[in-house]
Amino acid sequence: MIGRRPLDLAAVALLTFGAGTARAETLDVRTDSYPVAYFAERIAGDTAEVVLPVPADVDPAHWVPPIAEIATFQQADLVLLTGAGLADWTTRTSLPRSRTIDTSTAYADALIETEGVTHSHGPEGDHSHAGVAPFTWLDLDLATLQAEAVAEALARRLPGEAALFEANLKALAADLATLDAVAEEVGALAAGRPLLASHPRYQYLARRYGLALESVEWEADKPPGPEQLDALDALLEKHPATIMLWDADPGADTRQVLMNLGITSVVFPALANRPADGDFVTSFRDSLASLRAAIVAG
Amino acid sequence: MTSTLYLAVQYLRFHAARSAIVVLAVALIIAVPAVIHLLLDASERQMTARAASTPLVVGARGSTLDLVLNSLYFTGDRPPLTSVAASEEVWASGLAAAIPLYARFEAQGAPIVGTTLDYFEFRGLEVADGRDLAVLGEAVLGATVARDLGLAPGDSLVSSPENLFDLGGTYPLRMPVVGVLAATGGPDDRAVFVDLKTAWVIEGIGHGHGEAAEADDLLARTERNVVAGPALPTFAEITPENIDSFHFHGSSDSYSVTAVIAVPNDERSGVILRGRYLDREEPLQIVVPQDVVDGLLATMFRIGRLIDTVVATIALAAVLAIALVFYMSLELRRGEIETVFRLGCRRSTILRLIGAEIAILLGAGIVFAAVVVSAIAAGREDLALWLLGSWE
Repeated sequence: MIGRRPLDLAAVALLTFGAGTARAETLDVRTDSYPVAYFAERIAGDTAEVVLPVPADVDPAHWVPPIAEIATFQQADLVLLTGAGLADWTTRTSLPRSRTIDTSTAYADALIETEGVTHSHGPEGDHSHAGVAPFTWLDLDLATLQAEAVAEALARRLPGEAALFEANLKALAADLATLDAVAEEVGALAAGRPLLASHPRYQYLARRYGLALESVEWEADKPPGPEQLDALDALLEKHPATIMLWDADPGADTRQVLMNLGITSVVFPALANRPADGDFVTSFRDSLASLRAAIVAG
Repeated sequence: MTSTLYLAVQYLRFHAARSAIVVLAVALIIAVPAVIHLLLDASERQMTARAASTPLVVGARGSTLDLVLNSLYFTGDRPPLTSVAASEEVWASGLAAAIPLYARFEAQGAPIVGTTLDYFEFRGLEVADGRDLAVLGEAVLGATVARDLGLAPGDSLVSSPENLFDLGGTYPLRMPVVGVLAATGGPDDRAVFVDLKTAWVIEGIGHGHGEAAEADDLLARTERNVVAGPALPTFAEITPENIDSFHFHGSSDSYSVTAVIAVPNDERSGVILRGRYLDREEPLQIVVPQDVVDGLLATMFRIGRLIDTVVATIALAAVLAIALVFYMSLELRRGEIETVFRLGCRRSTILRLIGAEIAILLGAGIVFAAVVVSAIAAGREDLALWLLGSWE
């Protein structure tokens, strides 16, 4: 028999609002992307064990958990979802609503709708929904709002630690504000300069910091084919970019192909998954530094 | 004494049909009121316990009785539908946890209850065999449903169309059974549980199909929207291969539920929450199931008292009829009794013989009634649940 934590009426409410609960052990917190995991780790400190179960080499946007992993989400004390359509699997999975928080709801109005074809059944039928760009944290204002949602969710679970969470959130928000200032500076430097992205992942970065960014759909681990190069040529005619942002290192061959076209490759991880080195803040800072250097050099 | 009993038994056996009717009549006179009271008591216990464990129910304004019975016992009395936004409103209030319920559809005679995992925790339901709901399209069965339908994890069951004549209505969805709940002795044993989103798939709001743009009967196509014809085939089962094609149409806030169980943080939160639904113009109502059930029980007891009176009157008439049967029987047997007396049998022996016959008939009736009452008493909780669940 599968054991289920016994719950009385008050306990269900406490799961959500957490009033008066005393912490006996660390919270088991599950997340579906690195930014939310990072925010939770920074804010919760040692009061929680934050788990991002997505394998390091898998994009959380494409990850589908096996049944056993879904069970760990169901049994977690708190499930912090990125929202904004990042993890599509969550829409087809049974998660406990009382312990699951969509950390993007505070900025639902700020989401960017992606281009795509919707459909309806019959002329009067309701439409299916168009997608939204999920990499919201690349706008550091939205990242701060997301961090606040994480802090609020943690405080509801552990109200006794609210002061600690508030202090940690303040420190995190300060880091994000510093990054934001740097990003604004880089955005000002890049003003009016056309930029490229290897994938449509930087919509929020572009909107927040005024980057003139167009995207292609190239894979970092695969050199571009003739059709992709033709499409790039056509794009460059109307959008003469000299810098292309990459989520991961494209490799020497692709760098050379682009270099021949006068395009510098800049690795700017979108940070959906945990970076190999550093953390959210250091990786973002390094990416901004690389972009600044490329802009200055170009 | 032995010979008296022997003669009485032989006489009753000779008139077996008449004897059986008298035994049945005696048994009914005793059993009917006893069974009625057993079932009333069991129903009261079931209703009171269930209502007491459900603090508040939010639903569309309408019959409070339909709302409570459907939410607590998954009866066929479906309240007007409301939207899942009602559940989010409760969450947003910060005053209570909200557990949406969508108890509208059936599968092989059992109610399908679409809800969230919080419901299982709220009711303390445990999976006895298999696992919890994990992905869209799965079903977990109550213990009685699993037993009656002979289903176990690995089997599947199909939702029933709401209306056979509604060609545009819901299509049956084949749902794999992934778990069977431990028996609770309550209405949850008789339900099929699915994720709320699966209930919306059954309703037709969510479905999966191939590329709409490649449909044969495309009605229109714009740059951002493809209008597929109604004949676009949709999947009748959610499998690992097609689950990614499942999607929902329309605004997610408008998706239907039949009710929302609200679990306030504390008494004060409950009072504040109830105050928010007092406005008669408000399309939603909030009810305290205990109050509604108390009102229903009061009515049931009034009806019970009326039934007692009717049964007592009928029982009196039946007793008189049986007495008349015995009297008429003796009248018919007057010649036989006279012959026995002339053969030398004492009047006291004849009286003992007739007394033994009456005692045997009454005794058999009492035993028969006891067997019936015992059998019903053993299953009275299930029977009461069935009666509660089958109210239409």
